[in-house]
Amino acid sequence: MASVSLRNVTKIYGEDTVALDDVSFDVDQGEFVVILGPSGAGKSTLLRILNGLTRPTEGRIEIGDEQVGGKRDEVAMVFQLHYLVESMSAYRNALTGALGRTGWLRSVLTWYDESDKRGALDALDTVGLLDEAGQRAGSMSGGQKQRVGIARALVQEPELLLADEPVSSLDPKAARDVMGYMKRAADERNLTTVASLHQVNIAREFGDRFIGIREGSVVFDGGPDELTMDVMDDLYYGGDAGEGQPRESISGRLEEDRESAPETSDTEVQA
Amino acid sequence: MSQVDEKLSELSRRRRIHQGLKLLLGVVVVLVFWLGFFEYLHFDFEAMTKQLPTWLEFLGAFTNPNFVDFSTWSIENGVTGWSGLVGTIGYAITHPEAGYDMLSATFGGQRQSTLLGLAGTTVIIGLCGTILGFPFALIFGILGSERVVPFPFNFIFRGTMSLIRSVPALVWIFIYVPLVGINPVGAVLAIGTDTIGILGRLFTDELEEIDDGPIEAIRSTGGNRTQIVSFGMLSQVSTAFIAWTLYSLEINVRVAVSLGIVGAGGLGRYIAIKRSLFDFGVMAAGIMMIVIVVLTVELTSTRIRAWLRPGQHESPGLLDLLRGLGDPGKWLGMRPSPDVGPADGDGDEKTAVDPDESAGGGLVGSDSDDADGEPRS
Repeated sequence: MASVSLRNVTKIYGEDTVALDDVSFDVDQGEFVVILGPSGAGKSTLLRILNGLTRPTEGRIEIGDEQVGGKRDEVAMVFQLHYLVESMSAYRNALTGALGRTGWLRSVLTWYDESDKRGALDALDTVGLLDEAGQRAGSMSGGQKQRVGIARALVQEPELLLADEPVSSLDPKAARDVMGYMKRAADERNLTTVASLHQVNIAREFGDRFIGIREGSVVFDGGPDELTMDVMDDLYYGGDAGEGQPRESISGRLEEDRESAPETSDTEVQA
Repeated sequence: MSQVDEKLSELSRRRRIHQGLKLLLGVVVVLVFWLGFFEYLHFDFEAMTKQLPTWLEFLGAFTNPNFVDFSTWSIENGVTGWSGLVGTIGYAITHPEAGYDMLSATFGGQRQSTLLGLAGTTVIIGLCGTILGFPFALIFGILGSERVVPFPFNFIFRGTMSLIRSVPALVWIFIYVPLVGINPVGAVLAIGTDTIGILGRLFTDELEEIDDGPIEAIRSTGGNRTQIVSFGMLSQVSTAFIAWTLYSLEINVRVAVSLGIVGAGGLGRYIAIKRSLFDFGVMAAGIMMIVIVVLTVELTSTRIRAWLRPGQHESPGLLDLLRGLGDPGKWLGMRPSPDVGPADGDGDEKTAVDPDESAGGGLVGSDSDDADGEPRS
């Protein structure tokens, strides 16, 4: 039984702006799927539809056994710019993941359940920020903030974890750290994860499976071994590799990415 | 003529037009001032010149203000001039027990006749007015924001605040005359009402400027409408709300002085009475007392706002605040805040943002994303 199932999902903005065109695929329980594609391909729309923040024009989405109609508490999202409340500590930000099951008054008075408090600290431990739990989010680095964003998503106890370009604003080292923590959290909790990424090399490093989207349609679906340079050319440039040196550009980016990655990291993920 | 020459000529022409308009604006401003001040308001330079010696005599009183009414001790002992102020402080230090009794009487039964007691009345009027107005300002401010209450329903609250603001506190006190009379209680009601209009508007404006990101994040966690408002919206502006409230307190203490002049009590009333008696030395002492009170409130408020600045932790603690109050270097802003320091991990540096210099216009800003020194796509 697939954990996530999309059938003929189409999203049209306004009269004729097609963001997604008849997209269908399944994601198995515990699978780490990376969505690749150029800007404007429809990656963010796909994730927002999975999260219930946007409704599809047509099609059917099932998460577990349930059909997605509106927003679901079981789907957690890690955003590109973390979107933390900067005046609150990392711990209190992580605790906001429990809002869906906490009454308004209790949440305002920070009377969360003991299990949620422990869950928040567990999640911060998972992303390597237990010691920084009391630190104000606004004073944290971009990488740390993004890890708090992951912790908040974990506290939600989701069935499905979504990440919309979670490391696009980070340098390669911080990006690898953040992706490492996310992968570790997903593996530990057997979470189904769907993440959109721009960094091809990082995607290859952490993804189990890759779905390529171009102009709203799925043009590739396969494992790391199948993600060849030709596939990338086709995905980003429509196979038009002869013009504008796209192949060199991609190769260059991959090489640059590889060179800038440190051999050992100060904040290496504890496996 | 080449395209570059054409563009240059066009830009020069535009610049000449702009300069011409600026000159015209300058002429209009001078004309408005001339007509308004000299023709409409009938400014009489000759009459002012005749009054100049009297004014200089009054200003001279500031060199030797008469603090005879400073405390019960200065009144009972007839101690005049600066000695009234300095002597009271010296007496309180050298005679702690009697000094305590003296201060109790000054702020107690005889507070209406001593400068210290009247200063206390002025501060308490401003403080109580702010406390009274704050909850209503909060409710109206939140409900006036289009992000919380959809248009046009939010205009019910915005309109109410505009209506309140259109009447100054000096007029509100007269509106409350039939209810409580012109006294400190009326002043508190007037300031409280004024605070609803002004502080509520500032709260609404703050809420209009917040980021959508945290709101979407809270929505995605499954938070309900009230949780989205509390965590996604109010959490972003809570520090700014407190800072604006403290700023409002500073303004309200000044307003309390003005209300005193029309009879509401406190230092304002003292000055009004002494002015009518042409007792310039005592009046100068009253004005100096106002300066001392207003500056003290302002500096305390500034220190508290500095304490609220984004730091490494949610709050550095009350003890740090109290230590800061006793540190003259901090009062004058001569020492860096201990909160400023590098953040751990990921090689980024934390930058504390001076709230008064933040581009957001709020009194207390929040850390900018750019401060992380990381690329943003």
